Amino acid sequence: MDQETLLTIQGYGKFFLILFVFIVFYSYAYSIYKRQKTGERDFEKYSNLVHDDFLDSCPLEKRDNSIEKND
Amino acid sequence: MQSNAQLEYDYSIVKAFTFATILFGIIGMLVGVILSFQLAFPELNNLAGEYGTFGRLRPLHTNGVAFGFTLSGIFATWYYVGQRTLKMSLNESKFLMTVAKLHFGLYFITILLAVVTFLMGFTTSKEYAELEWPLDLLVVVWWVLWGVAMFGMIGMRRERTIYVAIWYYMSSFLAIAMLYLFNNMEVPTFLWSGDAPSSLMHSVSMYAGSNDASVQWWYGHNAVAFVFTAPIIGMIYYFLPKESGQNIFSYKLSLLSFWGLMFVYLWAGGHHLLYSTVPDWMQTMGSTMSVVLILPSWGSAINMLLTMKGEWQQLQTSPLIKFMILASTFYMLSTIEGPIQAIKSVNAIAHFTDWIPGHVHDGVLGWVGFMTMASLFHMAPRMFKREIYSKSLMETQFWLQTVGIVFYFTSMWIAGITQGMMWRAYDEYGSLLYSFIDTVEVLHPYYTIRAVGGLFYLVGFFIFAYNIYKTATAGRVLDKEPANASPMAS
Amino acid sequence: MFHWLEQKPFFFAVVLFLTVAFAGFVTIVPDFAKQSQPTVGTKPYTVLELAGRQVYIKDSCNACHSQLIRPFKSETDRYGMYSLSGEYAYDRPFLWGSKRAGPDLMRVGNYRTTDWHENHMMNPSDVVPGTVMPKYPHQFTNMADLATAYANANTQKELFGVPYDTDGMPKLGSWAEAEAQAKEDAKLIASDMKNQSVKDAVANGQVPEIVALIAYLNSLK
Repeated sequence: MDQETLLTIQGYGKFFLILFVFIVFYSYAYSIYKRQKTGERDFEKYSNLVHDDFLDSCPLEKRDNSIEKND
Repeated sequence: MQSNAQLEYDYSIVKAFTFATILFGIIGMLVGVILSFQLAFPELNNLAGEYGTFGRLRPLHTNGVAFGFTLSGIFATWYYVGQRTLKMSLNESKFLMTVAKLHFGLYFITILLAVVTFLMGFTTSKEYAELEWPLDLLVVVWWVLWGVAMFGMIGMRRERTIYVAIWYYMSSFLAIAMLYLFNNMEVPTFLWSGDAPSSLMHSVSMYAGSNDASVQWWYGHNAVAFVFTAPIIGMIYYFLPKESGQNIFSYKLSLLSFWGLMFVYLWAGGHHLLYSTVPDWMQTMGSTMSVVLILPSWGSAINMLLTMKGEWQQLQTSPLIKFMILASTFYMLSTIEGPIQAIKSVNAIAHFTDWIPGHVHDGVLGWVGFMTMASLFHMAPRMFKREIYSKSLMETQFWLQTVGIVFYFTSMWIAGITQGMMWRAYDEYGSLLYSFIDTVEVLHPYYTIRAVGGLFYLVGFFIFAYNIYKTATAGRVLDKEPANASPMAS
Repeated sequence: MFHWLEQKPFFFAVVLFLTVAFAGFVTIVPDFAKQSQPTVGTKPYTVLELAGRQVYIKDSCNACHSQLIRPFKSETDRYGMYSLSGEYAYDRPFLWGSKRAGPDLMRVGNYRTTDWHENHMMNPSDVVPGTVMPKYPHQFTNMADLATAYANANTQKELFGVPYDTDGMPKLGSWAEAEAQAKEDAKLIASDMKNQSVKDAVANGQVPEIVALIAYLNSLK
């Protein structure tokens, strides 16, 4: 394969990869927005991870051991 | 305190890294001030024979503040923020405790060896990667140890969701690991020395010329990203809400700007090589992506500033909040200044001039330095269980250092643009108007102002060191850990 | 999907790494092959020049001097022809620098001479009043490390295929041959110098750092 073909592949590859990342990024943004809106998940409560960070305080969300095993 | 009365967060490693932050901060900044005076008064170069010249000291300064001061600060806050937001204590695992101790020990030895080897002239010449190969190997060892400690702690967490500050620390670990390995690909030359009695310390880069430059600035630019930016954002996402008692303005925005920053930052390295001999498209890409980078950077910065919404009076009452807010302001300033310098036509004037060190120091003095010191101030009452020794010293330090930074960047803006314009000035007959030395002599007043500004900052740092020392030894003992606003004696 | 990711540190780290690594692979990797081709006439450094280059690196000359002439009239008028990628094919590491406290040195060999460098390195302000450059008297007494320079050249030859010992290119040979050659080259430089202790050292088969450094600077064209 000559230099020219390589550069063409590189160019297209770059374009579509960026497009892909772009789509993933904005669907992430949308999913965050939607989950907050429908109340599926309240993101803002995670600020409490900072305020209530004593070792003996109750975790905001406990780790579920049955899920953890599939890690 | 009932169920787990005996179990507490372990701050011994945090204390050790705090000590290292202050020690290496003093070394790195002191050398920086010496360098700045050498540019104003060149006779100062030859006070210590070959060991005191600008060239020998410069890597010591850059590495001292980046990998001595800043990294210690990052490690100190990691072991603090990590334990607290994951709700696990290092006391719970002998293994992780040992790893953390080893991490500190090897790190400390490496930086001390770096000081010695730089003075002796062992350098690879690649900026921020000057350490020769044996030290590079040591760096890899303690970097891996940090990773083990990090993922070990995350694995033991009680809290299911990983707080966003931790994301930033993780990104720092992963990105630096990759960047450092690729940029430091080098071959020790004694292996192929034939029978020549060659030095064991010397190595040669695996890449040559323009390729070496591409890799170096891919590294150099992103070492800034993942030492001076990402983990510092991690710090402010913990310490600002904690100290002020405010919620982060928008946790969602913090997640989005995280991914934005992660993706975009790496593309921008090409802006260090504009008009050089690397491929044109790489330069254009670097330039464009640098401008795009404003978005995630300002996303984080605005998020920090708005966190104080409705609570701005704290800025008056707490010097600690002042440090953090000024830090995020300087973050905004340097993340807009950088993209401006990355525009090709601006870069044609700015590159190779003092505007570049001016830009770097907006970021490191204002953003990194202030945020690191603020974090240490916040941690001090909690890890020493004592009140901060003196609020008025904090105020003095704040103003002294702020004035120092203003001196620094204003003089370097003027110096850089003046020199850049003089280099390209022509007279009416079409010959160059100034010889090179003209463009050096004109900088003398600005170099002097810069050196004085740097000196102010250094004096402020000594006040900081004294204040922390007195807090640890003579501060009023607290009976209970403060929830937010750190207590300070007037 | 995203929710799952945020609570699985391992997969989270993998995705994070890919996001971060992405740019590097796309931008840097594909251009490697093309750029390492030397320009016609570019030659690898001799052992003495490499020893001088090591002195240049040891004293971090690159902290203040660039070796990269940008394609602007103001730069080509001042320093000469703008830089081409192929001219750096044998530069390991590259020494472009990032700050010009002093002038560019990419083609300094075209317009400065051995005796100019000798006076300048001993006391720069004698030659250029108002300069901020340090004095480098230690380079007149420290000896250059020819053995490491040989190891450096030999590593490049053996490992990276740098064409030493080929037609029209510098000869490397064994360490003994290379050492003898470097000392001969040093005598040529020293004959243009006036510092008596340097001349004596070279006559005695030693090579002070300054001699190697000047050999390197003269080779920059």
